Amino acid sequence: MYWSKGISHVLLCNVTQRVSFWFVVTDPSKNHTLPAVEIQSAIRMNRNRINNAFFLNDQTLEFLKIPSTLAPPTDPSVPIWIIIFSVIFCIVIVAVLLLILSGIRQRRRKSKGASEVDGTEDKCENMITIENGIPCDPLDTKGGHINDAFMTEDERLTPL
Amino acid sequence: MEKARPLWANPLQFVFACISYAVGLGNVWRFPYLCQMYGGGSFLVPYIIMLIVEGMPLLYLELAVGQRMRQGSIGAWRTISPYLGGVGLASMVVSFFLSTYYNIINAWAFWYLFHSFQDPLPWSVCPLNDNHTGYDQECEKASSTQYFWYRKTLNISPSIQDSGRVQWEPALCLILAWLVVYLCILRGTESTGKVVYFTALLPYCVLIIYLVRGLTLHGATNGLAYMFTPKLEQLANPKAWINAATQIFFSLGLGFGSLIAFASYNEPSNNCQKHAIIVSLINSSTSVFASIVTFSIYGFKATFNYESCLNKVILLLTNSFDLEDGFLTASNLEQVKSYLESTFPGKYSEVLPQMKNCSLQSELATAVQGTGLSFIVYTEAIKNMEVSQLWSALYFFMLLMLGIGSMLGNTAAILTPLTDNKVISSHLPKEAISGLVCFVNCVIGLVFTMEAGNYWFDIFNEYAATLSLLLIVLVETIAVCYVYGLRRFESDLKAMTGRALNWYWKAMWAGVSPLLIISLFVFYLSDYILTGTLQYQAWDASQGQLVTKDYPPYALAIIGLLVASSIMCIPLVALGTFIMRCLKRGDTPPVA
Repeated sequence: MYWSKGISHVLLCNVTQRVSFWFVVTDPSKNHTLPAVEIQSAIRMNRNRINNAFFLNDQTLEFLKIPSTLAPPTDPSVPIWIIIFSVIFCIVIVAVLLLILSGIRQRRRKSKGASEVDGTEDKCENMITIENGIPCDPLDTKGGHINDAFMTEDERLTPL
Repeated sequence: MEKARPLWANPLQFVFACISYAVGLGNVWRFPYLCQMYGGGSFLVPYIIMLIVEGMPLLYLELAVGQRMRQGSIGAWRTISPYLGGVGLASMVVSFFLSTYYNIINAWAFWYLFHSFQDPLPWSVCPLNDNHTGYDQECEKASSTQYFWYRKTLNISPSIQDSGRVQWEPALCLILAWLVVYLCILRGTESTGKVVYFTALLPYCVLIIYLVRGLTLHGATNGLAYMFTPKLEQLANPKAWINAATQIFFSLGLGFGSLIAFASYNEPSNNCQKHAIIVSLINSSTSVFASIVTFSIYGFKATFNYESCLNKVILLLTNSFDLEDGFLTASNLEQVKSYLESTFPGKYSEVLPQMKNCSLQSELATAVQGTGLSFIVYTEAIKNMEVSQLWSALYFFMLLMLGIGSMLGNTAAILTPLTDNKVISSHLPKEAISGLVCFVNCVIGLVFTMEAGNYWFDIFNEYAATLSLLLIVLVETIAVCYVYGLRRFESDLKAMTGRALNWYWKAMWAGVSPLLIISLFVFYLSDYILTGTLQYQAWDASQGQLVTKDYPPYALAIIGLLVASSIMCIPLVALGTFIMRCLKRGDTPPVA
């Protein structure tokens, strides 16, 4: 409101080597200088516009006795760290459950195979283990190679 | 049918497991501090001597015992002598204490990692005060990184007596850290063997990236010159030698039972001598490598702070004397100051108290170790780098890898004796045993998430493992050399690996290493006794800095309990076994 009255009567005084200046705002109609408090609050409200007019910011343009109002840091509604935490948490829980379940399944399969093996050992020696009507290979084929040249009829009846 | 003992899929997994366990946070945040305090480049002399004389022999001893006995710590020592099962039990108790408090560091690393994905980084700016005209009081007095650590992460109380409540944010991170550890140890060596590829190798990738970045930072050479300038007079300081011995000892993780546990999963014919030398050399060179990175970062931070300090002085003088902008620079500052002092003495003396004396040397001389180094000093350096989110995330990811790698070893030391025990492993599957151990540790670890938690953490960090480990390793060495018999052990090793034992190892095991450990033990005891009452550093929020306080009596009692509970296992179990044997001999008449 006051600025629109126009700028006039620019007086130079107290010249220093720095780019600094004092100013007063007068109201020519009432012919008195406006109190400093009003000017200070006006500057506080319009700080951004004044800075931009000079291409400066709060660090490079200082108004003595007018502390700058600092911008509050942006606070998102959900803190970012909780989002990342929940993602990683869910991934870890899923991985743990998968490993536990696969371990249980492996153990159940092994105990089923072991109980069948135990049952055969109790019975007479010449029994062959049969699963689904197919005789089981007594050799553990993990890491071993079966040389078919040595596979004879009799071997199928060899006890474990 | 006897279930075969699980084995490492290949010897490389074993080496990586040992490296991943030994290379931990101590290499990153303790060794650079020791290097700085005890003479820079000249500290490497006692360090390397101690490595050859103490580190390698003791490491080889533990690996050989584990590989020969093929059992966890309790079983292995019981095999050596039935009265020495207590040594294994003491190792297990110390490992239990360690794993309880160590994982909170991983929780803090997770916390900082999750907070690295914000712009600006939360520890680079202070929060505002109530009427938004300035910054928070505590943050102004301290620095923004200290504020974030002490207030936002720990929410620390003024003293150990004010326990406060459990903070839910670090508690959540702790639960996550334990879940991750559980995921890695769930299946025993099968899962651990695969995880150690990552935990052993990834930290090196990050360290190399940081090395390149660190060396190209402005001012890095200041830090490196400061560190590596040898101060040869420190070689005469006995503390330098003692700290070198202590650092080697604790850095390799001897006496916890983890190395015995890892080696017990080896093939009997494994060449553990070669592996012992490799692991100890890699551990020490990682320490040196990490300190190069740390000091280039220190140099950058010190130079940055020094230049900011100079800029503040320049701004103050420019404002007070209305000088032309850009007239005062760092190079002509001293001349202009003397000119102003002579021309405007009155005004200069007004301004003088506000002017800080900026010194690059004093910035470099701030020596920090432990959590303060990683979470305060490093974050301060990182926030000034470009693309700070990337560097921050990389750094805390590396800390996580290092911490989890060490946790794998700690939990292996606890779990291997439990799974070896026939009674327990017949009732519970190993997933349940690991789950139970993790759960118990997590619940106890919640103590460290309370407001006074960091003080309890410091207690555990200082006292839970130090004295007990020295005694445990001493008893171990004496047991193998004199109770079991060095000749018998030598022939066992020869039968197992096919290689004869070098005279050097025999000399070290039988003579030098026990003497060294006894002298370290005596030094520690005398240090504790001479300092009288124990003190700790408490954070004073009103001053924004640490103050020294005395421990209350109940804290001293807990410290005593921590040390005693592990040490007492050795004589108590020996006594118990002796009594049981007497009773059994009394009950059953001798067979004809």
